[in-house]
Amino acid sequence: MDLGTQRVQVVALKDGAVVGRAQGFSGFDPTKAAEQAVNEALTQANLKLSDVNHFAATGSAMDMAPYVNSTVSMMGADAKAGVFLAPKARTIIDVGAEEARAVKTDERGIMVDFVVNERCAAGAGAFIEAMARALEVKLEDMGSLALKAERASPINASCVIFGESDVVSLIHRQESKPEIARAVFDAMADRVSAMMHRLGINPEVVLVGGVAKDPGFVASLNRKLGLTVVIPKYPEYVGALGAALIAATRVKEAPK
Amino acid sequence: MTKTVEKKFLPDVPKKEMDELRNTVKAASLKIIADNIERMKKADPHRPEAMKYFDDIANLFGQRQQEIQAEKEKGKKVIGYMCLFAPTELITAADAIPVRVNSGWYDTSKLGDRVVPVEVCPVIRSTIGAKMIELSPFLEQSDALISVLTCDGMTKLSEILGDTKAVWGMNIPRVKDSTQSLRFWNDEIKHMKTQIEQFTGNKINRKNLKEAIEISHRATKAFRRLQELRKGNPVIMGRDAMLVNQAYSWDDKKRWTEKTEALCAELEKRVERKDWVVSPDTPRVMVTGTPMFWPDNWKLPTLVEEGNPQGVIVADEQCSGERILNDPIGVDEWSMDDMLNAMSERYLMASTCPCFTSKDGNEDRINWLLNKVKEWKVQGVVYYVVRGCMLYAMEYTRVKKALDKINVPVYYLDTEYTREDVGQMKTRVEAFLEMLNARIDI
Repeated sequence: MDLGTQRVQVVALKDGAVVGRAQGFSGFDPTKAAEQAVNEALTQANLKLSDVNHFAATGSAMDMAPYVNSTVSMMGADAKAGVFLAPKARTIIDVGAEEARAVKTDERGIMVDFVVNERCAAGAGAFIEAMARALEVKLEDMGSLALKAERASPINASCVIFGESDVVSLIHRQESKPEIARAVFDAMADRVSAMMHRLGINPEVVLVGGVAKDPGFVASLNRKLGLTVVIPKYPEYVGALGAALIAATRVKEAPK
Repeated sequence: MTKTVEKKFLPDVPKKEMDELRNTVKAASLKIIADNIERMKKADPHRPEAMKYFDDIANLFGQRQQEIQAEKEKGKKVIGYMCLFAPTELITAADAIPVRVNSGWYDTSKLGDRVVPVEVCPVIRSTIGAKMIELSPFLEQSDALISVLTCDGMTKLSEILGDTKAVWGMNIPRVKDSTQSLRFWNDEIKHMKTQIEQFTGNKINRKNLKEAIEISHRATKAFRRLQELRKGNPVIMGRDAMLVNQAYSWDDKKRWTEKTEALCAELEKRVERKDWVVSPDTPRVMVTGTPMFWPDNWKLPTLVEEGNPQGVIVADEQCSGERILNDPIGVDEWSMDDMLNAMSERYLMASTCPCFTSKDGNEDRINWLLNKVKEWKVQGVVYYVVRGCMLYAMEYTRVKKALDKINVPVYYLDTEYTREDVGQMKTRVEAFLEMLNARIDI
């Protein structure tokens, strides 16, 4: 279970393979939301609650997770799942709605170092959301819009609030929407790559978290880092998968 | 004898508002002190008997405030200070009471925002705020303050506090390893001697200065004995040791020494019995960076020692902790000149404050850290910085490189004078501890 401030994801693992996957909104009752997602994932897998050997939880609200046998940090979960999905991965970047973090891992998926962005949404998904509002564009269209840009027009993006006025000044300079959209992703990628440089960038780099699904951000980040980040098929489930993988090792260590 | 001087910085807070604010913050602070102690007791169900004394002295509005008040009524002067460079032996020798006055109250930092911008280090803003509502017993009791101009914040803080009482600035040289620096600092110490003598009306002579230095020597011995006990398997929680260390800055020096010796004796018996406070495989953490002033700045040590997984703090490199008493004053002959020279050397050369640079930058701090890591078998370092604390923030990169070289993980944890970020801090601290555990298991 990956129980975050906004969403909950659940992955069911059987004999080392994913057999169920479900998500929902955390809402006001994250415990209940997690219970529902667990049920859904188990139904997919044709399993019952009593079939589960070990429940592991991660995410900022992991203390509220139901059924829990053990917990693991979000960074630890990212490292574990990152290496599972891409065995050559040594750096995992996780960009979610409100936080970006980067984890350095060894070949066994054990994290060796990590950084978290400094309590500021300018390097996270919430920034794209705010900028989409300022541009009067749908959030899901921001990425494809940015890819149409012919050149870069830098903005500062020191924070979401000031970023918005930066965008307004670009609008006043009559920059096109694609260029402004790209400026938004470039600014975000700047923040994320600065954070990664403090950690040291070891290839391969895997990008996970909800924002990994945005082609605009991925293009900007690749340009900024000068490499191609690996994106798993279900980037938003990586935290939950990491927890499930760790649950599996804990079952082996201490059989029920 | 209150002179009406025009205030250069501080606003006039109406008496009624001041009283209301002081009462509210004081009530909240008493609760926080009690809560911190309660949690420390819970962390160690067989807490040493000797800790009881320190639990009491930890109440900043309690016994010690009353004792100092009684001494003041008998005519003694109180001389407060902010930075550790203040030569407290001169104060003791002149029969005055030295007490450190930096503010650890989160709530008063918001009041400080009325005087300086929020970008300023919260230790400074909070001390300004505490002065505005006359919250801090020791700051209020101080008849004069010694302010050593270490960082930009301290420099301007001394001007701001100068609105309300005598503040004596001491100019600390920043290039530590030059002979003219030491000469200059020696003059500053001598000047401070005269200043204190004039203010208290008491002559500092060979006899009383020797006595004062010997009090410090005995305290240093007790202090080192305690840190020595933290080298082996954990026999005391880090928070308990940190409270003992910090209490020195406001307690009576002789009594503090006795009580610390008693604590050490108790702990040494536990070592004999192999009576560890936590399992010996608990990750051993060191804290460095911005000072953590009691009582509000206890969130990091609390998170480490109540974490899941749990860690134990075995050492620190902070001016609110082990830097206070680590180094004795090395006197050869007990002539006045020799004592003053030894004091200036001890206060300047032994310090690892990031305000310094030298031929090799702040090499002394790096060496201290590496030595601590080795001897105290530190498995991970938390580099603690409050926002606006430039010098510590800027020195991080060098510290990280040095620790990377010996393969000891370090985590940069930035925070503020606020309780609102405890959730986020918890996530990070626990991830760090989990990482240390994974390394230990291999």
